[in-house]
Amino acid sequence: MVAASTDTPRPQNTRAIMMFLREHAPFSSMDDAHLAHFAEHASLRFYADNDIVLSPEEGPVQRFYVVKQGRIRGERHNEKDGKTETTFEITQGECFPLAALVGERPTRTLHRAAGDTFCLSIEHDAFVTLLSESDPFRDFCLRGVSSLLDQVNQRIQSGAMASIGSSNSLDTPLERYALRNPIVCSPDLPVRKAVARMHENNVGSIIITDDERHPTGIFTLRDLRTMVAEEKGPLDTPVGQVMTRKPICLTAHADAFEAAMLMAEHHFAHLCVVDDEHHLIGVVSERDLFSLQRVDLVNLARTIGTASHLRTLVSLRSDVSRLVDAMLAHGADSGQVVKIITTLNDVTVRRVLELNIKKNDPGIPFTWLTFGSEGRQEQTLLTDQDNGILFETPEGMTEDQVREKLLPFAEIVNRELAECGFTLCKGNIMASNPKLCLSGREWDDWFIRFIDASTPQNLVYSSIFLDMRAVFGPREPLEDLYGKVLTRIQKNALFQKMLAGNAMNRRPPLTMFRNFRYAPDGKKHTIDLKRQGLAPFVEAVRVFALANGVEEANTLERMDQLVAKGAFDHKDANAWKEAYSLIQAMRMRAHQEMLDRNEPLSNYIDPDDLNPLDRRILRESFRQAQRLQQKLEVTYQL
Amino acid sequence: MMKGPGEMLEQMRQWVTQRRASTIGTHDPNHLPTPQIAGDQKLSECRLIVLDLETTGLHPGKDQVIAIGAVAITGQVIHLGDQFDLILRRPELDISETVLIHGIGPEALTQGHETEDALLYLLEWMDGDPILAYHSAFDQRFLEKTLRQSLGYSQNHTWIDVAELLPAVFPDTKTGGRGLDNWADFFNLEVSERHHAAADALATAELTLIALNKAQKDGVSTLSELSSKLRYYRRLQNMNRF
Repeated sequence: MVAASTDTPRPQNTRAIMMFLREHAPFSSMDDAHLAHFAEHASLRFYADNDIVLSPEEGPVQRFYVVKQGRIRGERHNEKDGKTETTFEITQGECFPLAALVGERPTRTLHRAAGDTFCLSIEHDAFVTLLSESDPFRDFCLRGVSSLLDQVNQRIQSGAMASIGSSNSLDTPLERYALRNPIVCSPDLPVRKAVARMHENNVGSIIITDDERHPTGIFTLRDLRTMVAEEKGPLDTPVGQVMTRKPICLTAHADAFEAAMLMAEHHFAHLCVVDDEHHLIGVVSERDLFSLQRVDLVNLARTIGTASHLRTLVSLRSDVSRLVDAMLAHGADSGQVVKIITTLNDVTVRRVLELNIKKNDPGIPFTWLTFGSEGRQEQTLLTDQDNGILFETPEGMTEDQVREKLLPFAEIVNRELAECGFTLCKGNIMASNPKLCLSGREWDDWFIRFIDASTPQNLVYSSIFLDMRAVFGPREPLEDLYGKVLTRIQKNALFQKMLAGNAMNRRPPLTMFRNFRYAPDGKKHTIDLKRQGLAPFVEAVRVFALANGVEEANTLERMDQLVAKGAFDHKDANAWKEAYSLIQAMRMRAHQEMLDRNEPLSNYIDPDDLNPLDRRILRESFRQAQRLQQKLEVTYQL
Repeated sequence: MMKGPGEMLEQMRQWVTQRRASTIGTHDPNHLPTPQIAGDQKLSECRLIVLDLETTGLHPGKDQVIAIGAVAITGQVIHLGDQFDLILRRPELDISETVLIHGIGPEALTQGHETEDALLYLLEWMDGDPILAYHSAFDQRFLEKTLRQSLGYSQNHTWIDVAELLPAVFPDTKTGGRGLDNWADFFNLEVSERHHAAADALATAELTLIALNKAQKDGVSTLSELSSKLRYYRRLQNMNRF
């Protein structure tokens, strides 16, 4: 019974518990009446260090718990090595055991107090009442931690959204966009009539189809402009002769992000949407995807890709940053945004190379390689150059003679890239370094030495050279080379083990007591999100990827491939991908904020600056990194 | 059909209001619950009352009780639905001195409850279960005096001093002092509103949970065993004095 005094509607202790709850999710978004229901039905239990709170033997879970003070540790017995491992930790304000309670089953994990701990709990009845009455509570319980992750994503988006306005998410499938009824014509229609039809319908493009409505070409106002300006022919020319053939097509199931990336890569503003039989069903334009003119990924990529001077490229860098802000606002997740940045960086690198070839062609066929984060397509705005050249030695020339021609060229390119904002690599991992401007044969030798003589120094470089990609020039030479490298690593168990040991050097920044472990080199009380947060994932995933013959360099794609190959459990991989992406998202948000404040970009953040929810997410993400490292330890018996 | 919390709350409020209205004059002072003694009741099952009083001053002779806060521990669990949080109606009292400490102003006092009604209600709610308090001698003296003066009630309840219980179970602990705040700080407890009777009672109850958990691990399983542990502790304390 609750005896309320009349001057206050609720007893002091009830109010105090409501106040405590309000500071934590999901309670922070629940109504007062529901919080009061919780508080009035709550009981408070104490557990001394190591006391068991919940165990699988107790049968179906009867209570919903919130940690009021202290910590709870989840313990699972590992059948393989007989050891007990900590699977999770729950701290102040966190709830448990959601899955077991909702599933009306016993918990699968032993819950034990870590230190003196008080828990608030409500019985099953009160839990069910709240579940049926409170939407935020129900969402939280049914979706568990993933709804928390969503909240973080939502916050990241709404922060950027404030300056942009709202829009569709980039995850939206194309079929959900109001597809314009495509304006079509046959290839024999004169350009004059085709343009008239576009004008009548107030569209910027017309699709040329065959008799079965398969798109065979596209003609846009830009094409018309070029045609007139370059006097390509009279306006009576059949449109089929001046159209762009084989327009880019996507099916209606593809999402907006895919469409945007394709447009950015090919510098097109329109693409055709087709059904499974390749019949034209619609057209999507850049404007449709980004209803606001300010988000102009495609336009920006085109401007970069056609810039005629270095200084234009330099000035476009600030647009890239603005675009990233807008992308976050449009619901792009961190994986999407780093790909966008990488795409734009690639376009910039390509353009710098093209401009220099135009000015002073070294006359040697070569592939421009990028390593490290750019190789993994995981670049953010703060990025170093890590590049190299893989060349074909023309007949009658020695490799050194080729280098004589290529190195001065590479030096200019490296310098100009630096002007565009790609910091010169302090370790001289750049194409202008004679040791990294090699023929296919030399690169192969280089990797043989790298793998066989795995010195500690080599292992440090593994994070750079084993994540590589071709940005410019033919891809085949690199594919040949990488195929050989992978085969060698797959056969070399010792190298794998050394790589694994090296990957363990980067520990997630958590102490034994689940507090943050601060970066040793940064400002006081800061965490290095890149070296301490992301690197443990990147490094561990690389070891598994190389050992399993995965060719992708991107960390998220590597994990997908590892699931496909059966090396990773599907659920584990999802948790790791989510954790990795969240750390990346926080890092990017921090970068954007630093840009807003005109501060130099850095990867350090003070966890105290985060709100409790983000702090909790960050901690959980780091814990996932620990779990991934545990897998590495078990696999390689470290 | 499940009832919504809003609906349930409303029902509860009505119920409390009705009960309050009906309690005046319908309590039977001759059939109040009998106080229990500390016997074989198991700590893992029994109900204990943890109580804190706010008074107009420190002297039972001249000062008066103005607020009563209490929570019940049942089977080593604090059920927040089973608590007591009342301000007594004492408009005639001069509380200008202590109002600064506990924050109950004359206005709140006039809106409080009829003392007799509140005390009868308290006795029924306590149901004769043992009463724990921090520095219990203080609360015991005030409560006994108030009960005697208002109701002519003079039965002896079992009292346990939490200020004694804690050092008895944690003998080597350095808390830097013997007050409630010292122990609360030592165990990192957050007291929601210090010097609010109910909040202090909850903090005391939390400390009691910690102490009972330890006592059970030391082999104490019944109330009488707990009493003898406290007697032993008192004897040690007295010996140390010489």
